Amino acid sequence: MTHIRPRSPNIQSYRPQLTSVLSIANRITGVVLSLGGVGLVVWLVAAALGPEPFSVVQGFFASWPGQIVLFGFTFAFFLHLCGGIRHLVWDTVHGFELASIYASGWAVVAASIVLTAATWIASIFMGA
Amino acid sequence: MIIHSSDQVSRARFLKRFPVPKNFGVPAESRIVQGRTWPAPEGARRVKVFKIYRYDPERGTNPRIDTFHVDLDDCGPMVLDALIWIKNKVDSTLTFRRSCREGVCGSCAMNMDGTNWLACTRFISDLDAPAVIYPLANMRIIKDLVPDLTHVFAQYEMIEPWLHVKTPDPEKERLQSAEERKQLDGYYECILCFCCTSGCPSHWWNGNRFLGPATLLQAWRWLTDSRDEGSEERLDRLEDPFRLYRCHTILNCTRTCPKGLNPGKAIAEEKKAILERRS
Repeated sequence: MTHIRPRSPNIQSYRPQLTSVLSIANRITGVVLSLGGVGLVVWLVAAALGPEPFSVVQGFFASWPGQIVLFGFTFAFFLHLCGGIRHLVWDTVHGFELASIYASGWAVVAASIVLTAATWIASIFMGA
Repeated sequence: MIIHSSDQVSRARFLKRFPVPKNFGVPAESRIVQGRTWPAPEGARRVKVFKIYRYDPERGTNPRIDTFHVDLDDCGPMVLDALIWIKNKVDSTLTFRRSCREGVCGSCAMNMDGTNWLACTRFISDLDAPAVIYPLANMRIIKDLVPDLTHVFAQYEMIEPWLHVKTPDPEKERLQSAEERKQLDGYYECILCFCCTSGCPSHWWNGNRFLGPATLLQAWRWLTDSRDEGSEERLDRLEDPFRLYRCHTILNCTRTCPKGLNPGKAIAEEKKAILERRS
């Protein structure tokens, strides 16, 4: 018998749950934040170079695609921040009851949405 | 939706699987093909469709999904009853492990509707229509629903799951106070069904070096045992970027444990114990 034993499916069939979805979301938002860090540096370098390059970069962030990128970055920031706090609590061996895991998970989702909305409402009213 | 205990079946109907291609990262020999559809029993009034993973090593062909029609009026209430019904009445070659039929032995662990559980303690009525039955996720398959557990048991052996003592044996047994005995609660009940290890994404990607939740829960069972005198060596063995620290606290393990145990918490205790002995 030369046939290799097949491996049963994992990610292809395992049901997404709040546990795994928030875990992968935390990792994806971490990557997004790293890329966003590059964007921040581009913005600062442009400012240091002078008004001409700065207005180009500023123009992009003020455009529709730029605003969508900024909005996504804001949400990624808060999701990663709240998820990180959740992980810090876990590191102290607290909040491991299943109900707590789910409650803190949904709290992270709700808090990220509220904080993102609050940030954008504030920035719109302050005329930024 | 808040899940209060692991036996709660998710009612969420959206996103039943991750949005990845069906054969995402799947090697050629593991690709699943269309199987056959077995005829519905004649005269049955309440019929449920089961889609079941099949693999026959003697055929030398790829695994396939067979479709069965189970007569619910002729069959017991649990998924294991349905599998036994199929084996008795439809296809006697359907292969699966089972022994105690009451959630004590851990033999019939498998993946039902995308989550791992014991077939003997999962109600048929809790499964979708059609019900989808796979073997434990991410295992080499011997036949049909029978996974090869050699690797995960080798990992279990690595933590040396027996009492380590340095002091000479006492006259009679090694005694434990009621409080010390209580420390083992939530850990000694593990039946080694490997539902958690099989449901752990970290173990999917790094299973060759990451020990996985079942083994790490067992490791804590010995670390927290007041009679055990090998804690230092046990922690030495765990303190490794892969063996312990590939756990990223995803907590699929705690969500899926059919005994309601908490491997995620056991692993957090281990990480904390390693930190504390440094300071």
